[in-house]
Amino acid sequence: MREVIPRQEQCRRSARTGPGTTIPEELARRSAPSSVTALLAAMLFLICLPLAAERPPSPPYYAVSDVRVVIGNGDVLELATVLIADGLIEAVGPDLEIPADARVIDGSGLTLYPGLIDGMGHLGMPAATEDDDTSGPGPGGPPAAAQPQGPEARPGTTPWLRAVDQVTDSGRFESWRQAGFTAAASVPREGFFSGQAAILALGDGDGSDLVVAADVAMGVGFEAKGGFRTFPGSLMGAISYVKQVLLDARHGITARALYEASPNGRQRPAYDRSLEPIAHALEGQMPFLLPGNFGREIDRVLELARQHDLRAMIYGGQGAYDRIEALKAAGTPVLVSLDWPEAEKDRDPDAATPLRTLVHYRLAPTTPSRLQAAGIPFAFASQGLNSPSEVFEGVRKAIEAGLAPQDALGALTLGAARIYGIDDRLGSIETGKAAHLVLATAEPWVEDVEIRAVWVDGALFLERQEDKDVEPPAGDVSGTWAMILETPRGNRDIEAVLTMGEDGKVSGELKSEEGEPSTLDKGRLSGDRLTFETTRSMGSREVQVSYSLLLAGERLEGTVSAGPMVMDFKGERTAQAAATEEDGAAEVEVSVEELRQALRQLQGPVEKMDRFAIFNARVYTLDGDTPAGIIENGTVIVADGKIEAVGESLSLPDGLPTIDAAGGSLIPGIIDAHSHITIEGGGNEGTVAVSSMVTVAEVIDPDDIAIYRALAGGVTTINVLHGSSNPIGGGNAVLKLRWGQDADGMFFVGAPPGIKFALGENPKRSRMPAGFPQRYPATRMGVMDVIRQAFTEAAAYRQAWQDYDAAKKAKKNPIPPRRDRRLEPLVEILDGERLVHAHSYRADEILQLLRLAEELGFRIATLQHVLEGYRVADEIAAHGAGASTFSDWWGYKAEAYEAIPYNAALMHERGVLVSINSDSAEEMRHLNLEAAKMMKWGGLDELEALALVTLNPAKQLQIDGRVGSIEVGKDADLVLYDGPPLSVRSVVQKTFVDGDLYFDRQADRQRQSTLEALRDKLEPKKPKDGEAAEQTGEPAAGSEPSSGGTWKHMDYSCQEDLR
Amino acid sequence: MKGCQTKLHRPVDQRIDGPPGRRSRTAMATLSLAALVVGLLLAPMAMAEGLVLEGATVHSLVAEPSVASVLIVDGIIQAVGSDLEIGSDVQRLEVSGLHVYPGFFDAFSQLGLVEISAVKATVDTSEMGRFNPHLKAITAVHPASEVIPVTRANGISQALTAPSTADDGILAGQAAVLHLAGWTVEEMAVEPSVAMVIEWPAIQTRSFDFATFTVRETPFNEAKKTAEEAQAELREWMDAARHYAKGRQAGSQRVERDLRLEAMSQILDGKLPVIIRASAKRDIEAAIAFAEEQGLRMILAGGQDAWKVKELLAEKQIPVILGLVQSLPKEEDDPYDQPYSLPGELHRAGVKIAFGSSAGGGFGPGGPHIARTLPFEVAAGISYGLPAEAALDALTRNPAEMLGLGDRLGTIEPGKIANLMVTDGDPLEVTTQVMHMVIKGQQVTTDNKHQRQYERYRARP
Repeated sequence: MREVIPRQEQCRRSARTGPGTTIPEELARRSAPSSVTALLAAMLFLICLPLAAERPPSPPYYAVSDVRVVIGNGDVLELATVLIADGLIEAVGPDLEIPADARVIDGSGLTLYPGLIDGMGHLGMPAATEDDDTSGPGPGGPPAAAQPQGPEARPGTTPWLRAVDQVTDSGRFESWRQAGFTAAASVPREGFFSGQAAILALGDGDGSDLVVAADVAMGVGFEAKGGFRTFPGSLMGAISYVKQVLLDARHGITARALYEASPNGRQRPAYDRSLEPIAHALEGQMPFLLPGNFGREIDRVLELARQHDLRAMIYGGQGAYDRIEALKAAGTPVLVSLDWPEAEKDRDPDAATPLRTLVHYRLAPTTPSRLQAAGIPFAFASQGLNSPSEVFEGVRKAIEAGLAPQDALGALTLGAARIYGIDDRLGSIETGKAAHLVLATAEPWVEDVEIRAVWVDGALFLERQEDKDVEPPAGDVSGTWAMILETPRGNRDIEAVLTMGEDGKVSGELKSEEGEPSTLDKGRLSGDRLTFETTRSMGSREVQVSYSLLLAGERLEGTVSAGPMVMDFKGERTAQAAATEEDGAAEVEVSVEELRQALRQLQGPVEKMDRFAIFNARVYTLDGDTPAGIIENGTVIVADGKIEAVGESLSLPDGLPTIDAAGGSLIPGIIDAHSHITIEGGGNEGTVAVSSMVTVAEVIDPDDIAIYRALAGGVTTINVLHGSSNPIGGGNAVLKLRWGQDADGMFFVGAPPGIKFALGENPKRSRMPAGFPQRYPATRMGVMDVIRQAFTEAAAYRQAWQDYDAAKKAKKNPIPPRRDRRLEPLVEILDGERLVHAHSYRADEILQLLRLAEELGFRIATLQHVLEGYRVADEIAAHGAGASTFSDWWGYKAEAYEAIPYNAALMHERGVLVSINSDSAEEMRHLNLEAAKMMKWGGLDELEALALVTLNPAKQLQIDGRVGSIEVGKDADLVLYDGPPLSVRSVVQKTFVDGDLYFDRQADRQRQSTLEALRDKLEPKKPKDGEAAEQTGEPAAGSEPSSGGTWKHMDYSCQEDLR
Repeated sequence: MKGCQTKLHRPVDQRIDGPPGRRSRTAMATLSLAALVVGLLLAPMAMAEGLVLEGATVHSLVAEPSVASVLIVDGIIQAVGSDLEIGSDVQRLEVSGLHVYPGFFDAFSQLGLVEISAVKATVDTSEMGRFNPHLKAITAVHPASEVIPVTRANGISQALTAPSTADDGILAGQAAVLHLAGWTVEEMAVEPSVAMVIEWPAIQTRSFDFATFTVRETPFNEAKKTAEEAQAELREWMDAARHYAKGRQAGSQRVERDLRLEAMSQILDGKLPVIIRASAKRDIEAAIAFAEEQGLRMILAGGQDAWKVKELLAEKQIPVILGLVQSLPKEEDDPYDQPYSLPGELHRAGVKIAFGSSAGGGFGPGGPHIARTLPFEVAAGISYGLPAEAALDALTRNPAEMLGLGDRLGTIEPGKIANLMVTDGDPLEVTTQVMHMVIKGQQVTTDNKHQRQYERYRARP
């Protein structure tokens, strides 16, 4: 914890040294990491002043007369009176008698709305803590090397935190109230279990006055810190951790109940303050707030909720347009983030935004209208946004995308109240409900709206008269301005980029050397006076900064004020506005249906046929029955995704669709026994030595373009493996590359589960940059020890469950052991139910692992890489392990120096079941050529070589009953080349998975032009080369940043450091 | 193996003990024979006055392939023809049914500078400091590197070895072209200094931070500013070097000798070309403009985006050393085969191309160890629009010509250095075996660390 200085104390200290010299750079930086630092450093002391002027006591009775009332339940009263008394709505209706003691507010020409509710955010919560531990080793050398903490330390787990106890400062509510927000669902920030949400009234009191409802939901997050420092370091680690805690909480309930029922003779279950609140939530006291923004993330949390029987609410939800059915079936409410995805500012103008990201930009805002149409409860969340103006921008976007305004209002009022079960007290203008009201000229999100009055719990917070002082603009301030801010600490350069509309309204932003730009608010040129405001968020509060400047030709001159602090601000125009380029870049209308159609075309099978034949092909059956394994002039008939017949020039039934292979080669679909594509959020949970609790299967990204590219290289099945940073790594996923399906649709059902092990340099962290935490093991001795220890634990765990089962049978009513996601996979290994894929290099470590496995009572399914396997081939064969190796990579690290390209052939010769794998999104595109190298190096024949990437990996993964050869009854996973399959001159023409055509070289050309045509429509026009960005600071064409995921893909392979 | 008469002592550590294993296949038998017999020959071989390769189809790259003899005297090709007069002192290598090609040229490698990529102690590619025009790769080449014979065994007879930069360095130093055989670098050197390597200060908005293992995004304008500052710095170095050269030339006593500025004079007066490494379109364009402004003879290396500026490259006659063809497309929406079709596209546009194992691209471990498979990388372009003849040119005569060595290397013509390979088929096909290598007119072994390990463990009882 860093020192917390009370506000008064800060002021005292400041006063002592005087402004300008008081604020250490460090403090300024910490308080406002994302703001115009220089400005703030100069103005920080302003926060010492009271933010709101002291107000007279407000009367408890109001009458809003002659007003149009939007009740909030769909009804509208065109001319009515609303009476407010003691914080509540006393009466609503036409012709009400106005009590004498009520202060009358004339509502004529105005509309009264229910106060808006922020459906989820962090209003009033303390600022995020800064974690110095994530920054990596500094220039000063490595910090004290500590063992990174594991899951047992309960990282980011503070479910006992209650928003109602956390409310720190209502000062921040001011700007939200001014915009019409009167209540907010607020969740403690950060963490995997961040704490319990509350509904807060955005009034003006201390915490106790603000609580509308306490403990309304349990906040859950999946944001891992990343890297190799603190568990969890990956998305899969975070998900696994959340699941383990849920299991633990569930276990706690059972254990405690059993213990309380009969404590005698039982060990007392431990108290765990992390688990108590979660257990309450599991028992139905509150739902869980689960993060799910993109479609696949929504899939994941729906599955999580199903598995763990959670009452769930999903936040984020922008990709719900693609998951309407699933959400409807699950009946899960969605708190839609209004932080709509869009191209990043100052992005690289030459980096192309992927089409699917552009499409997501376009489709995301249609989510609210789709949810509405489907009757799925939803509200709007401010989460991710800092100001109400941004929230309203988001609302407008949703309306533009089809949401009816009354439904938008519903989502911001009664809809939100219903989701949290507080519609009996908030959300509409009905007698008896809390007086949360907004009096305005239009709906609060409308651009020109004037909010005249806001009541929170009957207290009037804002009362504005019509602004009559606006003059028409006397010039145009549009353009780029080089401004100078004269601060007590010296002058600061600030660039102002302004755009003015005909009505005199001015928008734009201010930029300085450091920090993010700040956006102009309430900008207007009235006569020659330009006024605008910016909002700075400083820790938990916001500071309004007001600007008042006079326009004189090409000069602007005036002052900046924040509270009593006033500084000079002046400068000159350096560039006119970038003409009307924005108009030129106007988006071409593309119908949403057109987009969805196109996406299906780009990502999905080219063709689906129930039954068809491929003829005139050289068929490499690899089935062992055909003498040569090759059928010249062969025919393959496919029916319902399976191979129905294989033979030479088979006669075909009339009317059967056929594909003429034109003498090309047909081979079984290529199987890559070692891949890391499709893993989202990090492929290593490298923080701990044993990460068997995680599995890549829980984070598959079915939209990874690497899938399509692999299909174009003839790959139909892949073994997706965890990285190699731990002696025992995480679970695997065997996928069929059914491009276009969701993750669930890609799993190779029936493939035995697997797990990654890793030996040698990577798990012992040989090449970690200096300063990374040390982690046991650091030697090959330690690696073996970690494995032995883990299985010793696993055996004890298995025993504990056996004892429990026995005791249960004996009706002893035992307390069950705690379920352990880390040990369960290891028990499966001991039981022979999970395949071990062991990353290994040196002959000695290979042998040690084989012997250790034999001692522990299991078999290694495959040795991966196994570059020195040729030295212990007999031992590998005797153990019965498969070997999956690279074709010819060597020399990239010490343990790869003895690698030879004859490895595969030599092991094969000695009776080892060998495959060639890629470990690379690129190498996997030509595994046929990697196999061909084994004809060159080691003299395998064509069929032996081909088997290295088809039948052999199928056997290694124990899926050879389904794939790996072209045999009747097997899956129709087929690849058609235009020449011999092992020639560098042959190109894949067609790839089938389950009989569906997923890649076709001709269709690919069509796909490419469809893609480009759509891009042209969706992407704002690119500026001409060389004149990019810098003039307006707003490059027109975008870089990709979030290609549809909160997590970035990091491509890597095992041979690189630590992978 | 008739005609191979020279015998040399076999070093002890190469002795194969135990009986040979099963040898059932022709290819393997040939290989093993090569190991047993040719393997006895060390690189380079003892001095024969002359050598003649007889009976093979000669792919000279200047005439149609035909069966002919290649006569080599003192390391130089003397004659190519069918009725050559062969002196009795000439060693005869009977290669009937095989094919003779010019040895392949890796146009941008780290051969000799790296033994094990991840072991810092064995890596001599990147010196400290950002401007090192005076450093020469050849001064760090390890002639006994195991990587060299491994590479040679797949038909590569010469390579450019290039220095690289550390961190954000710009002037990496001078590259050498080496024969991949020789007891010392002096024997290996074709040219000890053949080009200046410049790492173009690119606009990089994305970088991987190894300290935190995360991808770091830099705002475009910031990245651009950084790049422009670095470019300005490079320009200052050019100006300083020009000024220095002028002063020294005029015999000014006041100009102190500066090794770095002195080294730069060779590129300023056009004696040495510059190899500028750049990959993105904007960086390639900026580099071309810079070279033109400074009057430099430019070769582009890397060139991932070169297809976007192929007309410009053709017009300015800037040759390109491409990296590994088997690479991933740059953008998600790029055609899946975009990197495969890049060489063909440049060739069709009239750009002269060569290939370098360390010039960029790929998605594997990289390093000089993959130089061995450079021919297959180039071959990968053939199905996607690169004519086979153009692929051969790119691996032979093109790099020789672009580096000013066209009169010495690249084709099988009288007067050129006899760097040749003998194969049992198309050297651009993966399954083809390289049977013999001739470097500087001497038959050198194709034996190497890998083959030795293979033989040794194959013979394990």
